[in-house]
Amino acid sequence: MSDSILQINHLSKAFGAHVVLKDIDFTVNPGDVISIIGASGSGKSTLLRCINLLETPTHGQILYHGNDVAGSHVNAPEYRSHVGMVFQSFNLFNNMTVLENCMIGQIKVLKKSKAEARESAMKYLEKVGMAPYINAKPRQISGGQKQRVAIARALAMEPEVLLFDEPTSALDPEMVGEVLSVMKQLAKEGMTMLVVTHEMAFARDVSNRVVYMADGVICEEGPSKQIFENPQKQQTRDFLTRFRNN
Amino acid sequence: MNIFATLGQDIVRLWNDYASMYLNGIWNTLSLAVVCTIVGCLIGLLCGILNTIPYSKNDNIFKRFFLRLVRILIQIYVEIFRGTPMILQAVVIYYGLPYFTNQAVRFHSIWLCAFLVVSINTGAYMAESVRGGIISIDPGQTEGAKAIGMTHWQTMIHVILPQALRNILPQIGNNLIINIKDTSVMSIIGFTEFFAIHKNVAGTTYLYFPSAAIEMIGYLTLTLISSFILRRIEKKMEGSDTYELTQDDMLTLAAGTYRLDKKPEDLVERNLEGGNAK
Repeated sequence: MSDSILQINHLSKAFGAHVVLKDIDFTVNPGDVISIIGASGSGKSTLLRCINLLETPTHGQILYHGNDVAGSHVNAPEYRSHVGMVFQSFNLFNNMTVLENCMIGQIKVLKKSKAEARESAMKYLEKVGMAPYINAKPRQISGGQKQRVAIARALAMEPEVLLFDEPTSALDPEMVGEVLSVMKQLAKEGMTMLVVTHEMAFARDVSNRVVYMADGVICEEGPSKQIFENPQKQQTRDFLTRFRNN
Repeated sequence: MNIFATLGQDIVRLWNDYASMYLNGIWNTLSLAVVCTIVGCLIGLLCGILNTIPYSKNDNIFKRFFLRLVRILIQIYVEIFRGTPMILQAVVIYYGLPYFTNQAVRFHSIWLCAFLVVSINTGAYMAESVRGGIISIDPGQTEGAKAIGMTHWQTMIHVILPQALRNILPQIGNNLIINIKDTSVMSIIGFTEFFAIHKNVAGTTYLYFPSAAIEMIGYLTLTLISSFILRRIEKKMEGSDTYELTQDDMLTLAAGTYRLDKKPEDLVERNLEGGNAK
């Protein structure tokens, strides 16, 4: 298992007395596209935020190439620069243009020159179809466009794995497609992705593995085809039926 | 009408005789106010940043203790300098230091003392404004910066402070205007700012009211010009609202929508390519 990017062992997280995650185990291998599905409040987002150390896990290990990053001795900014994150609310820097958003991390964290940073930012902005908007400020573009810029910003750091925290949940329905098609393209190119999502069609068609979470535990995990067509647990079956009937 | 004519004559006479003194006073007032507002803002920024360094239970005990201590010290500083009159602070520092140190420490320059008092006073007010400005920024901005591996200082300097500064600019303007007026209390320690000139001139000419009228007009002119300039800066920082597109966004047009269909049978039958063109 040493070639896995991330291995999560017995991860738990509690906010005070409220236990959100209980004893989570799972592994992310290179090239995996894993969808994490489940009802609201099942701990999906918290799991993702723990992986990126935006939340400090209460117990357990997060092994990044075999090294535990959950301890206090870890250089969190250094680790985070290898693990990209795309947020539900985009979190683009409001004081910077689209291009600057994609350059700042490369310049300040990766210590690249301005010219190099610009070149690679342009490459990724083109990939997400935002190259014509490089001089716009975040408040001047639509939600879907913001999310595409946020994806480009994460990609510009050349991360090993990209975490998506409900990337389309804050979008109007007509903007969901443009973001998902970018994500689908990334998956096709072999990007390792961990996606918390309510887009069941995306989970089924694009990801190779699906994790179903309920009440802070991983209820069922398996190849996406199996989860959607032949779920083993009653809970999973109920969830998927409920979702389709909404 | 007669009284106004006399007043006009007196003002003209005072101005003819003492214009250079008045102008010198204006210059002293303005330079003290501007420099102290800038330095005060820097003190406020520093306090604001130190005040908002996050620490968690996982950090070692030394770091936690240190950050706690810093916060308490800043709190004490803010409460003392915000809670006492600046005129008293000037007196206490200017006369108090030599008194307590048996003349060993004292100010050789009134400028230095006035500068120090007004700066730390402004800093105390700005510390709270900056803290407010920083916590008013969406936490998502910090998370976005953290997620690409930026450190606390990088996040502060490149992401949070530029936005916080924009939000507290009206407060900075307020402080500049307050400083232009309130530096007048520095005449208590003999600093020759604009108001001190009035006391001198009125003392020798006995033309109290005409001199006060000159002072009123002078102060009002200074503050009006300041607020005009500040408003211009604010407008400039705001930037334009609209963005002209150079071309259409092909991805928005082409992608269409991609959603889970409502009925279960659709989910099985649905053709992936049909919903997602690219």
